[in-house]
Amino acid sequence: MEQEFFEQRTDLSRLNSAVEQIKANLGKIVVGQHDAIDLLIAGILADGHILIEGVPGIAKTLTAKLIAKSINAKFSRIQFTPDLMPSDVLGTSVFNPKTVEFEFKQGPIFGNIILVDEINRAPAKTQSALFEVMEERQVTIDGYSHKMQEPFIVLATQNPVEHEGTYRLPEAQLDRFLFKIEIKYPSLEEEIAIIAQQHQQKTADQLAEVTAVLNAEDIIALRAQVRSLHVEPKLLEFVAKIIHETRSNKSLYLGGSPRASLAIVNSAKALAAMKGRDFITPEDIIWVGPAVLRHRIMLTPDKEMEGVTPDEVVAQIIQKIEIPR
Amino acid sequence: MHKLLFVCFLLFAVTLNADARPLTNKPFVKHIIQKPVVGLVVDSIRLDTSKIKVHAFNAVALDKYKKNPDFFYREADAKTGLNWWQRFWNWFWELIAKLFGNSQPTAAPSFSFLKYIIEAAAVVLLIFIIIKLAGLNISNIFNREATEIQVPYSESLENIHQITFDEEIEKALNQRNYRLAIRLLYLSTLKQLNDAHLIQWQLEKTNSAYLNELSDTAQRQSFGILTRQFEYVWYGDFPVDGQSFQNINTLFHDFITMLK
Repeated sequence: MEQEFFEQRTDLSRLNSAVEQIKANLGKIVVGQHDAIDLLIAGILADGHILIEGVPGIAKTLTAKLIAKSINAKFSRIQFTPDLMPSDVLGTSVFNPKTVEFEFKQGPIFGNIILVDEINRAPAKTQSALFEVMEERQVTIDGYSHKMQEPFIVLATQNPVEHEGTYRLPEAQLDRFLFKIEIKYPSLEEEIAIIAQQHQQKTADQLAEVTAVLNAEDIIALRAQVRSLHVEPKLLEFVAKIIHETRSNKSLYLGGSPRASLAIVNSAKALAAMKGRDFITPEDIIWVGPAVLRHRIMLTPDKEMEGVTPDEVVAQIIQKIEIPR
Repeated sequence: MHKLLFVCFLLFAVTLNADARPLTNKPFVKHIIQKPVVGLVVDSIRLDTSKIKVHAFNAVALDKYKKNPDFFYREADAKTGLNWWQRFWNWFWELIAKLFGNSQPTAAPSFSFLKYIIEAAAVVLLIFIIIKLAGLNISNIFNREATEIQVPYSESLENIHQITFDEEIEKALNQRNYRLAIRLLYLSTLKQLNDAHLIQWQLEKTNSAYLNELSDTAQRQSFGILTRQFEYVWYGDFPVDGQSFQNINTLFHDFITMLK
């Protein structure tokens, strides 16, 4: 109907077609989890790193691998273990007897799509190795900075912190993740569909059916398009008001950072583009809000003991704020 | 060999002397007086003929100390050097002591805890008075209450029930501000939906929330179209000319007619 009055300013057909193809790719193997898949795609389009949390056996790693397989770019996987050292992730200088010089051997972090599996099984020392590379997209070793190639996406999975052998991620690292996507148990219907799909599977390798939809250059171009979307100034105020409220809310010990404000705006833009709009609405902001904030805010100890979740607090905060209209 | 034995004997004698002193319970001064003039072998008593210098107290310093109230140990004297606060507390404790039939209030151990309780109560009362005078809310002191953040919204506090929509739309159209006119049309539609009890107007509700409140399918479909027009114009900043406005205005009027 809007086509009668308004002509599209931005051609989002390539982006929308790619999104549909990625969703189709994932839909071949992953049953349900539609919101999680939308957030994953939005996170990649918004140039962010994504943390996927869930109990074992709910296809966290599989979903991340499928997303990676849908993009034709250098993929590497790091299994985080308690004895992993920062040099195992970043790389190290090795002496070459032939040239009598130290040569830098790149670690597995040097890639386009990095799957960090079970990120919270490594101690804080190893996790700290990711600080610089996740924010500044570079690694400094022996006084020399090695730039990452674009796009650089970290997809990390983790079990909930209550599980055995896990460490709580430092707040500084959590803040570097654009989204924390919580993957829940499937519904009864979805569970039946999973079993039936697995039963009918002809080949052992599920990922063989998945083909690449985008390459690294496509991702860079689509991200530039997402960045250029229009944002009404009143919606910027709306985002700022939400983040400010997290800093003064009595249920919260730690509120959102300015990086969280930027994350909400960028991811709302990506979501709007996925819906075929070149501008964001308050609903886009409200939809991405919990995924952006749930790992950045910290509940007060009393609220934590009461069993209140960060999502509930975020919902309460957003409900209190006037929708700019 | 004999010399060695003699030295050992001397050391033993000195040690015995040192150990014996506390047991004898003699004043230390006597030892000092007896010590210097006695030889190892005495066949006669020597008299100490040295001159004794008598030291007298400094009368000026003594007088100064006597006048210092810090050294008044008698209760009657001590009271004269007290300030009004100390005098108040003395009076207060005497009163308490009389009430409980004790003339020595401060000396009575049973009053010590009572003293602390009453002092604490007095401090709490004082804080309470200060808080009341300052006009603070006591419940917020220990319970961190969310503070209202003032963000300069130009549309904030706008009550759709107080806007004269026809006038405002006319004003916007005269200024060729079609964007504002469409916004006012949308707010006017929300007001009419609220008046018809089809939605419940709240500032915090999203457009989709209002859309979902509509139970009639035709109404929901038409209002969905209006909402999209509003969003394109207001959030998307799409340019609106006179012709586009007329088309959108017709949609709004058709919807209002549908409600009647």
